Amino acid sequence: MNPVIETQHLSKWYGNVLGLSDVTLEIEPGITGILGPNGAGKSTFLKLITGQIKPNIGTCSIKGKKIWNNFSLFSLIGFCPEQDAFFDELTGWQFVTGLLRLHHYSPSEAETKARKALEIVELVEDKDRVIKSYSRGMRQRLKFAQAIAHDPEIIVLDEPLNGLDPLGRRKIIRLIKSYKGEGRTIMVSSHVLPEIEAMTKRIILIHQGKIFAQGDIHYIRDLIETHPHIISIKCSDPRLLASNFIQEDFILNVKFSSAENTLLVETNNRDKFFSLIPALSVKKNIEVEEITSPDDNLQAVFDYLVGK
Amino acid sequence: MAQNSKGKLSFFLISLKDVYAFFFFMGKKSKKLKLFFLISIIPVVIALIIKINQFFSDRTPIQGIYIFNNMTVVMYLQFLILLLALFYGTSVCSEEVEGKTLTYLTSRPVSKSALLIGKYAAYTTLIIILTIIGVTLSFFIMNLNDLLNFSLYKILLRDVVVLSLGLICYTSFFTFIGTIMKKSILFGLIFGFGWENVIQYFPGSTQRFAIAHYLKSLLPAPKTGRFSFLMFRLEPSSPLLAIFMILLITGFFLGLACLLFSWKEYIFED
Repeated sequence: MNPVIETQHLSKWYGNVLGLSDVTLEIEPGITGILGPNGAGKSTFLKLITGQIKPNIGTCSIKGKKIWNNFSLFSLIGFCPEQDAFFDELTGWQFVTGLLRLHHYSPSEAETKARKALEIVELVEDKDRVIKSYSRGMRQRLKFAQAIAHDPEIIVLDEPLNGLDPLGRRKIIRLIKSYKGEGRTIMVSSHVLPEIEAMTKRIILIHQGKIFAQGDIHYIRDLIETHPHIISIKCSDPRLLASNFIQEDFILNVKFSSAENTLLVETNNRDKFFSLIPALSVKKNIEVEEITSPDDNLQAVFDYLVGK
Repeated sequence: MAQNSKGKLSFFLISLKDVYAFFFFMGKKSKKLKLFFLISIIPVVIALIIKINQFFSDRTPIQGIYIFNNMTVVMYLQFLILLLALFYGTSVCSEEVEGKTLTYLTSRPVSKSALLIGKYAAYTTLIIILTIIGVTLSFFIMNLNDLLNFSLYKILLRDVVVLSLGLICYTSFFTFIGTIMKKSILFGLIFGFGWENVIQYFPGSTQRFAIAHYLKSLLPAPKTGRFSFLMFRLEPSSPLLAIFMILLITGFFLGLACLLFSWKEYIFED
């Protein structure tokens, strides 16, 4: 399959701050997730491939044509930016139809397309309300609507689930997934692995401005599984629990936390660890009050992977 | 080749029209327009007060057209059009950057030049309309006793044209300033109410470095009177040269603004 988006040694600095470094990629149709912690360079990458900013080094092309200042390519792209910014004095309807008119559609064409997009994001009933009265979820959906309204081949969504409640997240995930299999190229960024996992299996891992890994989501899952996890357990007898833990080969380290009755356990096999706890709790009559995983986030995984 | 250029030009004009329509509509709905409408009717209120005062006063009233001419210079030319052009011109670019809405515009199949010129044109149209409303109302109030004197309407027309040219030119300059600078309002205030006013009191060709010089060159020299000091030392250029210079300055700064806007990157602040 021919790549739709290609980048060659793409690099970007903001003054002395590195945004993106030497990124060479080919992106094919389908949903691709851009995963990385906050400040990793996801937004910079998406702004570069949508022609919003120009690279310092390297090139970025869409269907073989360079994107920077090539506004004729913009009819192929629908971009949903990260920032929660709107022309607040407009209604949702005026916002979407107005932006559609900038695609040179006639008023009636713009209205038809706007209605269709607002129906998709379930905002038709609220279309005549001013945007500043919209909830965060509605604003996110409106941003999504303006990105899909002109029926673009490439849809780029920068953190589309940010600030949404679980219901809102589900709605947006469902929307994004509904575009799967239409031959479109969709790029979604997030710093939350399960969000990306819910939408696609194809991911690009980005960290400190560099592409860290690219491929199937199982690859990152495997990385996470082999990453030693620190688990905090608050229980009635942490010393007794610790003495039982140290006999197991999948337990790498046991420490007593400064917090009262709390044990910090490092393991390289979470599944075995979590199946052991109930058994021990019953057998040794230890009351477990709380189990938390302080490093169970993407940043911790990245830090581990880059050897911090 | 020629056909290609023609196609590009017609696409540019279509883009311009679409951008113009979008921002004219948005500008009409904005709170900013309502605020500036209120400011722009201040001269109308002043005209009304003067007229009421004349009505109840025993003194021989000063001719309405004389007061109107001075209002055009003092309130419109030296204050209101500068204020309108400053706030609308600098916002052409900066309100999109500060409001982080630029992305919605620059991700459309519209050239950045068309975006800038289209928005500039929409805003200039709006402030010209505001000014015309104010000037016309002031004219009618000040000349209530003389409305059948049709020669006065030529003066109204001339003043409207001069003020419109002023708005076109100043807005273009401030659009450029807004494109290049972050604190464009501050610079604009210094330029508009400092440079533009002070330099007119300099003799010789120095005053030709002010836009106001060319605008005042299109107005008749004032008669000796209370307000004549405002035109002090004006050494007017010929009307043709004045119009040419106004259009040249407009084109120059608009062109520069387009070039900058097309190549400059605008990074949003978190």
